[in-house]
Amino acid sequence: MTAWRLAFAIPGVAALAYAATRLWEVPADAWGSVLTWLAGGVVLHDAVLAPIVVGLGVAASRWLPAPWRSPAVVAVVCWGSLTLAAIPVLYGGGVRPDNPTLLDRPYVASWWIGSAIVVVLVVAAGWWRLRSTRPWPPSPAGRTR
Amino acid sequence: MTADTRDAPAERARPNRLRVPWVDDFSERLRGPELTSRVGLWLGITLSITFLTGLWSHFQQDTPGWLTIPTSPYWLYRVTQGLHVISGTAAVPLLLVKLWSVFPRLFRRPPWRPGRAQLLHLAERVSIALLVASVIFQLATGLSNAAQWYPWGFSFRSLHYAVAWVFIGSLLIHVAVKLPVIRQALAEPVDRDEPAPPPGALTRRGLLRVTWAAAGVAVLATAGSTVSWLRHVSIFGVRSGDGPQGIPINRSAAAAQVEPIDPATWRLEVVYRDRAREFSLDELRAMPQASHDLPIACVEGWSGSGTWTGVPVADLVAAVGAPDGSRVFAVSMQRRGGWRTSELPGQFVADRRTLLALDLAGEPLALDHGYPCRIIAPNRPGVLQTKWVRRLEVYA
Repeated sequence: MTAWRLAFAIPGVAALAYAATRLWEVPADAWGSVLTWLAGGVVLHDAVLAPIVVGLGVAASRWLPAPWRSPAVVAVVCWGSLTLAAIPVLYGGGVRPDNPTLLDRPYVASWWIGSAIVVVLVVAAGWWRLRSTRPWPPSPAGRTR
Repeated sequence: MTADTRDAPAERARPNRLRVPWVDDFSERLRGPELTSRVGLWLGITLSITFLTGLWSHFQQDTPGWLTIPTSPYWLYRVTQGLHVISGTAAVPLLLVKLWSVFPRLFRRPPWRPGRAQLLHLAERVSIALLVASVIFQLATGLSNAAQWYPWGFSFRSLHYAVAWVFIGSLLIHVAVKLPVIRQALAEPVDRDEPAPPPGALTRRGLLRVTWAAAGVAVLATAGSTVSWLRHVSIFGVRSGDGPQGIPINRSAAAAQVEPIDPATWRLEVVYRDRAREFSLDELRAMPQASHDLPIACVEGWSGSGTWTGVPVADLVAAVGAPDGSRVFAVSMQRRGGWRTSELPGQFVADRRTLLALDLAGEPLALDHGYPCRIIAPNRPGVLQTKWVRRLEVYA
């Protein structure tokens, strides 16, 4: 086991050392932006996104009827992560008037239509689960703390 | 995503009191090494693919002395760079579920007394901070670059390369630290010690399936920019694939400040030592022409294939009396933007599929595709397929 761990750790340290030599070349006036982007992602995740998701989970366990909970999780994981990955095209910061072949799809309209379809699917899936499982077992006491 | 099913200490469970949460405040029903190690394994695989294909792409532009880039297969760069962006996109949901599964551990308190345990705790925190920061940095800047959006004040290419090494180093260290946990968790079934789910809730196995599905959805929704049969599904692809003569463009003639030329007076210069020859457009068209189906494959991960017709660069090199295996610098008429010149190493010049193309899809090149002539070679990134060529400098 120790040999295996060293087989990962030694190249890992070497890669970090090489990374340091590359970062050493970064011009001084770019460092503010580099650090903002390095730390910004972590801060946005840990202080904004993760608390929102935890809050949504707590809210769903209190107020969302049980048959709809799993469909809602599926929707949030699939559509939510796709939305985050699509931020650059949804925002359209790269659109340029001289190049109509770039970002040439109706991204925002697609997002709204997709979101509507996701909501309809979640409602329908919960409804189907409610209908097909009868009687629906009650939630155990204390789950809504 | 469900409320805690375990009994929290009464003092901690008191509602309506704001405080920093403890690691035990979160539900551990789905979370645990069984879930984390499986999602982490696939996250590690997808991100390792992006690392290796990214390194390969970097070598196309900064080729180290020990490496000779092959000209075959002609589609190689198209596949590796497509894979780079596709696996990076698939990593987004994997990363989010992975971080969700370990989020409570952010609220572990370090050991109070100074000593070995505290030092190890801090070292692990630092290595994980490096890993998470570098992964988010790479995915955020990479996805923005694919959409040609650069809201930062640094060179994308040099930082994406440098932080890739921060990522791979901190990943290897993370695996070294966690190896016993990973091995044990992967050897056990995913539902080991899993409490029965509340009615209607997902199991661990269910959450894993949802995670794989989310990665698949992210790929389908974006990969059409390079996988042409997906173009009608990829609602968030950066390109639909449309463009002049059936191929998208990256830098327009307007952005490069290239004016349409006068075909009667325009000349291509080919220079070798003290020999220089000029070719008019008619002379180029009078030379033996070759046609090849070759892709334009961009570093941003999109690609498109076209039928290019023109003069093999090898014939132009021979026309100025330069030996086989010579290198060629292509110099563009563009006045703005990077990559005004490109170097064709000897093996690309010798490959007769490397063309000074005059036509695309049976018509003269559109101005945005490099009229009157451009370089098109097999297995090369788009930035090196120089457009609006006015001079070829040959070096033996």
